[in-house]
Amino acid sequence: MKKPPILMIVIALNLLVLVALVFAYPHLMVSPGPLVKGHAELATDCFACHAAWRGASSGRCAECHAIADVGLKTTKGVPIATGTIKGSFHQQLIEQDCMACHSDHQGPKLTKRSRKPFSHELLKVPVRDTCASCHAAPKDTVHRGLKVECSKCHESQAWKPAHFDHALLAQAELDRCESCHNAPTDRLHRQIQGSCKTCHKTEAWKPATFDHNKYFVLDRDHEATCDTCHKNNDYSRYTCYGCHEHSQAKVRAEHVEEGIQNFENCVECHRDPRVEPEKKGGGRERGGRERD
Amino acid sequence: MTLPARLLRHEVLPFLGSFVALALVSLALDGLLHLLDLLWIGRWLGIPGTLLILGSTAYSLRKRKLIRSGHPATLLRWHEVLAWLGSLLVLVHAGVHFNAILGWLAVWAMLINVGSGLTGKFLLDRSRRRLEEARQRMRERGLSDAELDERLYWDSLTFDVVKKWRVVHFPITLAFTVLALAHIVAIFLFWGWK
Repeated sequence: MKKPPILMIVIALNLLVLVALVFAYPHLMVSPGPLVKGHAELATDCFACHAAWRGASSGRCAECHAIADVGLKTTKGVPIATGTIKGSFHQQLIEQDCMACHSDHQGPKLTKRSRKPFSHELLKVPVRDTCASCHAAPKDTVHRGLKVECSKCHESQAWKPAHFDHALLAQAELDRCESCHNAPTDRLHRQIQGSCKTCHKTEAWKPATFDHNKYFVLDRDHEATCDTCHKNNDYSRYTCYGCHEHSQAKVRAEHVEEGIQNFENCVECHRDPRVEPEKKGGGRERGGRERD
Repeated sequence: MTLPARLLRHEVLPFLGSFVALALVSLALDGLLHLLDLLWIGRWLGIPGTLLILGSTAYSLRKRKLIRSGHPATLLRWHEVLAWLGSLLVLVHAGVHFNAILGWLAVWAMLINVGSGLTGKFLLDRSRRRLEEARQRMRERGLSDAELDERLYWDSLTFDVVKKWRVVHFPITLAFTVLALAHIVAIFLFWGWK
């Protein structure tokens, strides 16, 4: 069948117009995405960065961005006033491959971003191992006295999470938990003075070794403040005469009546106020535990 | 009335099915590449897609006697399969969402091309068959040629319209070829192949 020449002519003309548009507006017709803001003026000059048939190359970038000046001076030679960290590392990369991190065309929204994140692996080893060449150490109480490399606690991917080891601290510092930690403000801890190490380990706050039930169950009749039983924050001692229920005379009378002579160490028999004691007195006082 | 049901089953559904399947399979593959973070595969799929479409043109060359070997019916089947598969790969390739207008124009030209090809495959064959059947029936009833033409005026008109649609398959292919070629040349010209 003979092709209608008018249709062919219309299509051919349209194609010619489109091909002409490619040359007139390459940033719309051919470019895979808009350029970064700093390169906006190069939008229609593809060959400013691209070599025909060979693509873009780091050599082309360096024609404007001298490696020695990246992060320190603008392409016009004006010093960059605010010291940026970029100045610290671009000169210290293991290889000068701009395209490894920078795709000047901003990635379309639906795909991954075209700029890859910075990786410490790109740095020369001596620079990579000396964090202070780029980073200033924090001035807080935790970091102030430390003389070790950041990498002892921190990974290079992100500052947090960190893995702190108390062994890095001097003994004097180690004995003063409160120099770094705030004591918990709950009812139990508010009343405690002394070293956290009595119950807690340096590896982690929990599990704590202290379990009151092991010594005496605090049922609802015994929800008293700590110093009702532990006078002067001395948790190595206790007394049951701190409350009006248990006077010395009343306790003595109750026990003598049962024929119990040794009733000074109450928890020897009374571990759990909800349970009748099995022992009939006479138990020896346990080491380190005395009655007031 | 069995005719509409047959028509639906034999012509309309395969026609729409091929098109819908092309869209759904390409969306599924595109989604999978996004999900698995394998977009780089999509970037390279344009090449095998183009090669498959090029392979499918063996039938077109044979039809225009530019090549002599090959059985036309077999080549037509290959033309349909390869063009469909090639278009699928090119659609997935386009699905990695680059912003160049040229690439998108090429994709739209390709889709119109596939549509025109499928129209030829399903609708024209059907129209021709129905028209012939109608003529045959009327001849058997002893109608003269003039009456035949009178009765079948609208059917003939429809047939001609569909035939014209098939005729545009070639100019659309030409447009697609030029746009795809321009896109490919642009890639070769600017891409660093990394």
